[in-house]
Amino acid sequence: MSEEVKSYVELKNINKYYGDYHASRNVSFGIEKGKLVALLGPSGSGKTTILRMIAGLENPDDGEIIIDGQVVNDIHASKRGIGFVFQNYALFRYMTVYENIAFGLRVQKWDNAKIDARVKELVSLIGLDGLDKRYPSQLSGGQRQRVAFARALAPNPHLLLLDEPFAAIDAKVRQELRSWLKSMIEKLGITSIFVTHDQDEAVEVADEIIITNQGRVEQKGTPVEIYRDPQTSFTAQFFGQTFFVENYHDFKSFDTVEGTTNAILRPEFLKLTKKNEEKKYTVTIAEGIVQSVDFRGSNFEITVKYKDNIFIAKRTLDEPPVEVGEEVDIFVYRLLVLDGDKVHLLKNRALNEESVVI
Amino acid sequence: MTEKNESKYVKYLLITISVIFLFFFLVLPLFVVVTEAFKKGVDQYLQAVTDEYTVKAALLTIEATFFAVFINTIFGVFAAWSITKFRFKGKKILTTLIDLPVTVSPIIAGLIYVLTFGRQSILYPLLEKYDIKVVFAVPGIVLATIFVTFPFVSRELIPVLESQGTDEEEAAALMGANGRTIFWKVTFPHIKWAFLYGVVLCATRAMGEFGAVSVLSGHLRGKTNTLPLHVEILFNEFQYMPAFAVSSVLVVMAIILLIIRSVIEYKGKKEEE
Ligand SMILES: Nc1ncnc2c1ncn2[C@@H]1O[C@H](COP(=O)(O)OP(=O)(O)O)[C@@H](O)[C@H]1O
Ligand SMILES: [Mg+2]
Repeated sequence: MSEEVKSYVELKNINKYYGDYHASRNVSFGIEKGKLVALLGPSGSGKTTILRMIAGLENPDDGEIIIDGQVVNDIHASKRGIGFVFQNYALFRYMTVYENIAFGLRVQKWDNAKIDARVKELVSLIGLDGLDKRYPSQLSGGQRQRVAFARALAPNPHLLLLDEPFAAIDAKVRQELRSWLKSMIEKLGITSIFVTHDQDEAVEVADEIIITNQGRVEQKGTPVEIYRDPQTSFTAQFFGQTFFVENYHDFKSFDTVEGTTNAILRPEFLKLTKKNEEKKYTVTIAEGIVQSVDFRGSNFEITVKYKDNIFIAKRTLDEPPVEVGEEVDIFVYRLLVLDGDKVHLLKNRALNEESVVI
Repeated sequence: MTEKNESKYVKYLLITISVIFLFFFLVLPLFVVVTEAFKKGVDQYLQAVTDEYTVKAALLTIEATFFAVFINTIFGVFAAWSITKFRFKGKKILTTLIDLPVTVSPIIAGLIYVLTFGRQSILYPLLEKYDIKVVFAVPGIVLATIFVTFPFVSRELIPVLESQGTDEEEAAALMGANGRTIFWKVTFPHIKWAFLYGVVLCATRAMGEFGAVSVLSGHLRGKTNTLPLHVEILFNEFQYMPAFAVSSVLVVMAIILLIIRSVIEYKGKKEEE
C-alpha cells in the first residue's frame, strides 16, 4: 500500500493472453522482501498464470516484472533465482529423494561433497532422514510435498513460488503441513508467494493476501485489512462467510448510501438474542424466525429468516439454546453495502449514540 | 446358479473357438512351414538356407530393417516430443500425417515412390545426372521400408509422453537443465520401455515388408531381393522346399523379436508397479 516501502517483487501493468482469452488484466502489485504472500482467488481467476509469469515459465504480453530492482522479462527462468513448487509437485519419478533434491545442484555443477552436504542438510530439515533412497511413489502426499519444497530450496533461491501447495493433500495432514510450511519459511526468511483458492489457508498462512478475480487483482492487504475493509464487492463476498441482503433499509438506524439497496452480512456482524434475554440496543431490534440450528463443535450456527433475508448468526454453547421456529431478536452491528463494484462499510448508528451517552 | 453355469459355458466356448482359430490359422501353417522345410533332410535345408542368393537377400533385409529402425526411431522421438511437449499450430495435421503410412496400402506406397523417383518423374533428370538410382535399387527398398514403418516408434511414445505431461521437464528447465539433460535424465526414463517396444515393432514390420518393396525392387536376384521377395521367387519357380526353408528363417527371426517384445512388455509393466 505505502509507496515508500521498496518492493522486492513487483508486477507493473501485466497483461497476458492465451489466444483470445485475457488471462491477466492489468495486474500490478508489489511484495516486500521476506514476506509470505498468498494469491487467493477462485479457480480460473489467473493465479497460476501470474505465478508462472513471475517464474519465467510464461511470458507476459505486456508490462514489466521486476525482481530485486531488475526487470526480468527477458531473463530466462533458470537465471531468476527462483524456487518453484508445482501444483502436483512434479517430482522426478525415476529419481530418488536424494537425486531429486540434488538435481538443481548438479545442473549448476556444484562439487559432489557440497552437493552431498546440502542434500543431507535439506533432508533432515524436512524431517525425512533415512528416506533419501526412496522414490517419490514410495512416499505419502505430505512427504512428497516436503521433498518438492526441499528441491526448490536446494540452490538457495531468493524467491520461492508455490502453486496450490496443499491441494493434493488430505485434510488431516493439510493442517499440520500448513503450520510446518509457514514456520519453515519464517525460519528461512525467504520471500514467498503461494497460490490457493482456499481462504482459510490464505488467512492462516499468509502475511499478506492478494485477491484475484477474472484475471484482475481485486485487493491486496493483510488478512485483517481485507476482512475489515473489503474494497470491492467481489472481495466482500469472497472473503469470510457472507450472506446477501436484498434491501438493507429493512434494518433500522443505518445511514443510506445514495442509490444502493444490496448489502452483505457476516455472522460476526450480528447479535442474536432470545426474547427474554437482556439487550443493549432495544430500539433497533429486528425480529426473525429461527430456521435451523446446527452444532459446529465450538458454537451453534443459527439460520434465521428476517423478511425475505436468510442469514446465519452464531451463539456460544453457554448462551441459552434457541429452537427452530422460535422468534428471536436480531441486532446488526455492521453492514457491507454494495455500490456497483465498490463497497461501503456502514456501522449501526446506535453504536455511536450509545458510546456518546457513556 | 444357472446364470453362473451359463457364464461358465460361454467362457469355455469362447476359449475353444479362440484355440481352434489359432490352431488352423497360425499353428498349422507354421507347422507346415517347418515340416516342408525339413522334408528333404537337414542337409538340404542347410543348403537352401546358405544358398548365395538367400544370404544376399537376408543381408539386404537386415540392411533395410536397420535403416528403417534407425531413421524412424530418430524421427519418432522428435515427432512425439514436439507433438506432446509444445503448443503449435498444425499439430493435429502433423499427428494425422504421421499415421498416414499405415492407412495407405503398401502397394500404393511403392507406387508413390516409383512416380516420385522413376522415369516419369520431374526429378528423374536430376537423379540421373548425379547417377543416383532409387527405383529398382537398394535405396528404393530402404525408402519403401522406412515409409511403411514410419509411425511405429512415435505411436508408442505419444501416449506415454502425453500422460506424463510437461511438469517434470518444466521443473528441470527452471533449475537450469539444458535440453539434452532434460531428455536423458527426465524424459527418457519415462519412455524407455515404450521406446524399445516401438523399436521392436518397427523392426518386425520392416523385416516382413513385402508389398511396397515388391513394387520398388525389380526383383533382381542377389541385388534387390529381400527375404520375403526371395521366398516369392522360389515359390513361383516351384522350388517348394527351399521356399519353405527361407520362410522358416523369417519365422525364426520374427519369433526372436516376439520374445524380446514380451520381455520388454513384462519389464515395463513390472517397473510401473
Ligand atoms: N496454457 C493455457 N492455454 C490456454 N488457456 C489457459 C492456459 N493456462 C491457463 N489458461 C486459462 O486461463 C485461465 C486462468 O488460468 P489459471 O491461471 O491456471 O487460473 P487459476 O490458477 O487461478 O485456477 C483459465 O481460464 C485457464 O483455462
Ligand atoms: Mg491454478
